[in-house]
Amino acid sequence: MASISTKIGSFSLENPVILASGILDETSGSILRSLKSGAGAAVTKSIGTEERKGYQTPVISEIGTGLLNAVGLSNPGIDNFVEEYRNFPEKKKTIVSIFGGKVEEFVSLAKKVEGIGFDKVELNLSCPHVKGVGSEVGQDLGMVEEIISEIRSKTNLQIWAKLTPNVTDLISLAKASEKADAYVLINTLRATGVEIYSRKFVLSNIVGGYSGPGVKPVALRAVYDVYKETGKEIIGVGGITTWQDAIEFFLLGAKAIQVGTAILYEDYPIFNKINSGIRDYLDKEGFSKLDDLVGVMVGDATFKNH
Amino acid sequence: MQHSRIIELTKENKDVFTLKFDSTIAARPGQFIMIWSPGGKEIPMSLSDTSNPPTITFRTFGETTKTIAKLKVGDRFFYRGPYGNSYPVPTGRVAYVAGGTGLASVNAMMLKYGGDVYVGARTKDDLFLLRNDFRIATDDGSAGFKGTVIDLFLPHVNEYDYIFVCGPEPMVKTMLDRIDRKIKAKVYISLERLMKCGVGICDSCSINGVRVCKDGTVFSMEEVLSLSEFGVYKRNEAGKIEFFVNGKR
Repeated sequence: MASISTKIGSFSLENPVILASGILDETSGSILRSLKSGAGAAVTKSIGTEERKGYQTPVISEIGTGLLNAVGLSNPGIDNFVEEYRNFPEKKKTIVSIFGGKVEEFVSLAKKVEGIGFDKVELNLSCPHVKGVGSEVGQDLGMVEEIISEIRSKTNLQIWAKLTPNVTDLISLAKASEKADAYVLINTLRATGVEIYSRKFVLSNIVGGYSGPGVKPVALRAVYDVYKETGKEIIGVGGITTWQDAIEFFLLGAKAIQVGTAILYEDYPIFNKINSGIRDYLDKEGFSKLDDLVGVMVGDATFKNH
Repeated sequence: MQHSRIIELTKENKDVFTLKFDSTIAARPGQFIMIWSPGGKEIPMSLSDTSNPPTITFRTFGETTKTIAKLKVGDRFFYRGPYGNSYPVPTGRVAYVAGGTGLASVNAMMLKYGGDVYVGARTKDDLFLLRNDFRIATDDGSAGFKGTVIDLFLPHVNEYDYIFVCGPEPMVKTMLDRIDRKIKAKVYISLERLMKCGVGICDSCSINGVRVCKDGTVFSMEEVLSLSEFGVYKRNEAGKIEFFVNGKR
């Protein structure tokens, strides 16, 4: 049987299906449940320096092609996070997502995360609906570069940079982030929704992020472009709902994938379902391991370092 | 988002209202809907009658419920759902134990399957949806038994085959602490937690990784007893842990 294990830098994963940040990953109990349900790893909900309630409801709206959300980075704040996760048993399989508005905030968050024994962070440089953080930071190339090099020099954490697709020049953004260990592509697309009988917006914040099946082609394009240009390790995310979706991302250069919105449709069984689909595909198509599939459709990649 | 029209809006007591809306929905007792006040918030609400047209029964405790209570017959009513699981179909003798607006949830069950209703409230002015045969407990003794609904109910616990419970978490915790866990009755409890999405993805209502909105809201007593966080702490809108008074184990 083909191997579906993968590696991001020195991080070995039993399987390439990771729980994406923002879905069922605020509480430690839920992260454990995803890992027990077959996720190869899990990313936490984004944590900031202070406790944040997020936006008032409605914070989600289901549409035919996916989901709109503006949860608003609700999180208990790093100190309460540290309290809850100090004795968390799966720190090696869990990547802590952090967000901030300043370089020093990111560094301080990263240090606290490392201080309780986590060894990987995902930088939320891409939340599309909160002022002063997320994609507003993620579009400032100089700041992105500084955040990553500061965390690199002050911690031993593996760094994943989750980038915003809401830019005209993704390649420049990727290059500004090239000191990260891996790219996570993509976050949600900036979007809104309308309810026609009340003539009101469907999200209390008006603007939110669009995720789910409808964004998959955009995510695939982002993975393809960045892989072709940089050859760096990529975790693909955006609309992945089936194992076939996952295969598409591997073929274009992703070494692992994340699922979030799809849990709305498939619930926790999705992790095992995608994993067994990938394994079957590798067997039937004559690949002995997942790695042999990564980037095969991107023949002219500048270099391949996987 | 579904849109409907209000058919009836009944004032049950000083601050509890029942709203009947013109929809045909396939809902089972125990399920809830997310109701939306356009331009305002969206909140979860148990269906107090799951036959069609359905009803919700709610206390006006916040901005959204106050706005909804001021609507008129014929006004538009927005919701999504129904969501969550439902109470199992009972056999034999059935009891319902409700605290506060928890009565709305078990009311839907009682309308369909009948049985004895034990209801608790602060005072007689807080009671609603009453029927002549309800067994009542009030904190101040202004109606029925003086004390909690748990005190009223527990002496009768062995008379039943199925027991359905809905009320505030501290009430349910008290009951679980005091009930004989070897009783013959099957006990099912509908839990209440802060919810944002209602569809099992935001993690706001999770207890030990179990989602009240999607895995519940109805759980067996054994399931609830297995949740170490239950009755000990809940989470605020930020996801921060907040201990119940006397919640530390």
